[in-house]
Amino acid sequence: MSRPGTLRMLTRDVGAALSFGFVALVVLAAILAPWIAPRDPYATDLLAIMQPPGGDYLWGTDGQGRDILSRCIFGLQVTLFMGLVSLIAGGVIGAAVGFAAAFYRRLDGVLMRLMDILLSFPAILFGLALAAIFGPGLTSVIIALSIATVPLMARIVRGAALVVMGQDYIEAARATGMSDARLVWRHVAPNCLSPIFVFSTLRLGQVILLGSALSFLGLGAQAPVAELGAMAAQGRNFLFIAPHISVIPSLAIFAVVLAFNVLGDALRDALDPRLRI
Amino acid sequence: MRRYALQRLALAAPVLLGVLLIGFLLMQVVPTDPATVRAGPQATAEVVAAIRTELGLDEPIWTQFFLYLSRLAQGDLGVSIINSVPVTQELGATIGPTLELMFAALIWSIPLGILLGTLAAYWRGSWFDRITMAVSVAGVSLPVFFLGLVLIWIVGFQYQLLPFTGRGGPLWTMDGFLAVILPAVTLGGVFVGPVARMTRTAVVDSLTADHVRTARAKGLSEFRVVLRHALRNALIPVVTLIGLQIGFLLGGAVVTETIFSWPGVGRLAVGAILSADFPMAQGTIIVLSAGFIVINLTVDLLYAVLDPRVRLS
Amino acid sequence: MIRLAMLTLLLALPALAQQQPRNQVTIMREIDSDRYDPHRTTALAGGEVLTMLSDTLVSIDYDMRTIRPGLAERWEVSPDGLIYTFHLRTDVTFCDGKPFTAEDMAFSINRWIGRTTPRVTSPVAWRAGNVKEVRATGPHTLHYELNEPFSELLSQLTLFFASAVDPASVERLGDNFGVQGFNGTGPYCWGSWTPRNEVVLNRHPTYRWGPPVLQNQGPAHVERVVWRVIPEAASRVAAIQAGQADLTQYIPEAFWDTMRRVPNLTASNQPNYFWDFFFGFKVDRPVVNDIAIRRATHQAVDRVGLVRAVWSGHAEPALNIVNPRTQDYDAQSDAMVPRFDPAAARRTLDEAGWVPGPDGVRVKNGQRASFVTYGINNLTNQRAAEIIQQGLRQVGIEMRIQFYDATVAWGRLATQEFDAFFLSYPYISAGDALSLYWHSRSRPTPNRMNWNDPESDAWLQEARATLDPARRAEVLALLQRRLADQAPWLTLARSQLNVWSTRRVEGARAHGLYGIGLYRGLDLRVR
Repeated sequence: MSRPGTLRMLTRDVGAALSFGFVALVVLAAILAPWIAPRDPYATDLLAIMQPPGGDYLWGTDGQGRDILSRCIFGLQVTLFMGLVSLIAGGVIGAAVGFAAAFYRRLDGVLMRLMDILLSFPAILFGLALAAIFGPGLTSVIIALSIATVPLMARIVRGAALVVMGQDYIEAARATGMSDARLVWRHVAPNCLSPIFVFSTLRLGQVILLGSALSFLGLGAQAPVAELGAMAAQGRNFLFIAPHISVIPSLAIFAVVLAFNVLGDALRDALDPRLRI
Repeated sequence: MRRYALQRLALAAPVLLGVLLIGFLLMQVVPTDPATVRAGPQATAEVVAAIRTELGLDEPIWTQFFLYLSRLAQGDLGVSIINSVPVTQELGATIGPTLELMFAALIWSIPLGILLGTLAAYWRGSWFDRITMAVSVAGVSLPVFFLGLVLIWIVGFQYQLLPFTGRGGPLWTMDGFLAVILPAVTLGGVFVGPVARMTRTAVVDSLTADHVRTARAKGLSEFRVVLRHALRNALIPVVTLIGLQIGFLLGGAVVTETIFSWPGVGRLAVGAILSADFPMAQGTIIVLSAGFIVINLTVDLLYAVLDPRVRLS
Repeated sequence: MIRLAMLTLLLALPALAQQQPRNQVTIMREIDSDRYDPHRTTALAGGEVLTMLSDTLVSIDYDMRTIRPGLAERWEVSPDGLIYTFHLRTDVTFCDGKPFTAEDMAFSINRWIGRTTPRVTSPVAWRAGNVKEVRATGPHTLHYELNEPFSELLSQLTLFFASAVDPASVERLGDNFGVQGFNGTGPYCWGSWTPRNEVVLNRHPTYRWGPPVLQNQGPAHVERVVWRVIPEAASRVAAIQAGQADLTQYIPEAFWDTMRRVPNLTASNQPNYFWDFFFGFKVDRPVVNDIAIRRATHQAVDRVGLVRAVWSGHAEPALNIVNPRTQDYDAQSDAMVPRFDPAAARRTLDEAGWVPGPDGVRVKNGQRASFVTYGINNLTNQRAAEIIQQGLRQVGIEMRIQFYDATVAWGRLATQEFDAFFLSYPYISAGDALSLYWHSRSRPTPNRMNWNDPESDAWLQEARATLDPARRAEVLALLQRRLADQAPWLTLARSQLNVWSTRRVEGARAHGLYGIGLYRGLDLRVR
């Protein structure tokens, strides 16, 4: 994989460039939330309940007189955290399974059957089950999304690793008596990075979408935590009086997920055309 | 073929047992004691103990699991902690509306998705293709609740064109039909994009297949080539992928049911979880899981029937 | 294929034939009850349907004070206040046509207080007073004898818990009484119930014994009442505007201003509505056992702003515990409640030795000014709690919120694992409200404050037993002042009742007893 080529391709595609810029901005905003949010996301202004956007409060206020813009910025933090943690947790386990399946062919059948089984259940079911067991909350959502990510990552990694394993230099490295773990770490994994990267970008969008849906249902982040799905859910009660309370956080989720999806597609085209489904 | 089917069935059985075991264990690890919840705040220790015995909560765990399986075999999933209604009864009442909603969502979104995908493949590279694909990416990124809320707000409330307050009756009645429109548009709306995308990819792929090239060489118009040859071949992977996307549809259905007060399994499940009604939550999760095992099995077998390569292997 | 088409047609036919009955009223509500048994249900969702299905011995007027006849056309009270003799109407029948007798009423009261077999445990059996015995002394004479006088008895007997039920149906249906069926004397009869969806009631055709406070004593004008559960507030608002339902009391205050401008809708308001939202402290738990923390909370919470925000101004900001319009309300105690003044709150805390800590939360003797609040997870509680949390943060008190879904919350609220809690409740009078919550015997529920004060107990006892209304008001005033002084409880808002109805129906006058919008629903009429 050639990095300059990737970058060039990304910049040539306007949508990809825009989405890359947007993703960067979103991540930066989430990290810098305490410094860039104009107001305290939890402070209530009882004289400014459900203010429409455009006044003193740029994006308006919610039912408790809290600044929606600040809550969205802090909400990004929670949402991205939720997405990243579940992606990393599920991704690491999934990648380990994938490598193991590719490396130890005897395990392949069992492991991939197991992954098929996991894959046959929709992520929302994991969300429901985990919330039933541990009670609604961010932790339940993160665990559920991690579990749902494992089989997907395992498949991607196994596929990529099998291709790499067929290469001559792996055989050569193996012949030198390199340990399996070292072999994977030094030679196989680095060559599987691009599909992993592409998948992760696309998956992050999906994970955020799912997580915010679970929060919207009340199974995820709990009030008063500023989380975009939970904010939309609370605002739903005032949909006919002050639609902006739920529409703005929903739009924010849409924009972030769209950016990750467009970026992921572009990355896939640039890095790994084979992955095109 | 029979061997393949048996193989698949043999795999489905232990998975189902696993789901049941997990469902059972769910009841064991829940932080709230079902007996206490059921007894209510005023209950004395004796009342709680009596309920514990009644629910079989004092038996050894394996005995409890076998009791549980035998009850399950008789269609007994327990009773709701909250209103003592049998779980199977509630499930029986909610499965219909959920299937109804899914049907109403798919009946328009799959044909539309296939149409858009085929046209995009036919005019690949054109502005139509670009827009369709852009819209489908947007569709995949759209939170279901957002679409639902906007429809409720504008169509339901501002212009009062269609109801959005739950099921109006069976689909074939006027009330039932009108009531299902907005939920079906919401749920189907997020499904058109993926279907269009999958169809386009599959059709484009099959356009490079040999027999399509042959057809083209015979001088058939591109439109006929796409429709007669490419789409027909592409339908197999598309059908399979749609089958696999049913999971995605379920996620949407849970949200759609919640915002439209649709009396389906998804809303029942969410309500049960939020109110810590564990038997009900467990029942809904088991039924949904079992549903997915069956769906996957069906899709696998269907795929085997449709695709000779699988049949022979 | 043809067979399938025929089958579809057959199935479709009854559906096509089924039209919206003209003489039907559809009432919307937020939640369903777990059952419809007056002696096992305490929920408002149960009561609002039960008030249509059954009758009580006595009824209460719209002023929430005057007791009027009901199933009893008259009654006598012995001079010592111990024996009530009710003379029942002779023309009453149950829905199944069976005549209603004093035996049935005695059975119903005894079932309520747990003296029938199988035993039913009503959490509100205390509302029947300290009963010695209730029995029929004639076909239509009921002997109601107490061990000690209970000045509240008649008003308690107007509540739906005291409903008459048919003993035979109770026995026949067993645990499913109020689930699979019901047999009462009310203006409407049990039709069907689909849990979490709808309850259908049909007119009781021979009903003629409605409470005199209503215009129509029966039979009901409408043939059928459908109680439909629509959990989403927004959906209810839209449904009533679109005419998909006729009536509801479950419209959040935020919508009231908009709804008033809709020409098709009318609202009936009940000024004598006593349903308060409050925030209580467990007075024996660390941090909140300090009166300074409790008084500072009063000073830190802007209750006027809170009402404006959470109730959109459609509630009354409250001071002390009982509503000024209730019987035996004490005005002086209101004056003793600390007013909203964040600066004063900081002073109160400073003086009590709570000094600002490094994270902004005050500390005293190594203890952070931080406490846990429980409550039911609903929008009103969420919003109120988040606003109060911010008010407290401004003065250096940390409030941690832990809300539970309604079904779990009641169990949690019966424990000792929290320091403060949010709830709301209906009451009839000062005596009713105070004796419900503040007697040491009522610990741990409903006296979740763990209020344990011998003097309070003595006052409550005297108020209950005295036959002299002036003396009762006097001792209840003493208790109200004690509570204002000790600040164990912060009344957040006195909510209002609006029963909204479309032009299609008339007679939907808001009554509000125990929070129930319609009283028996006899005056309802389709235009």
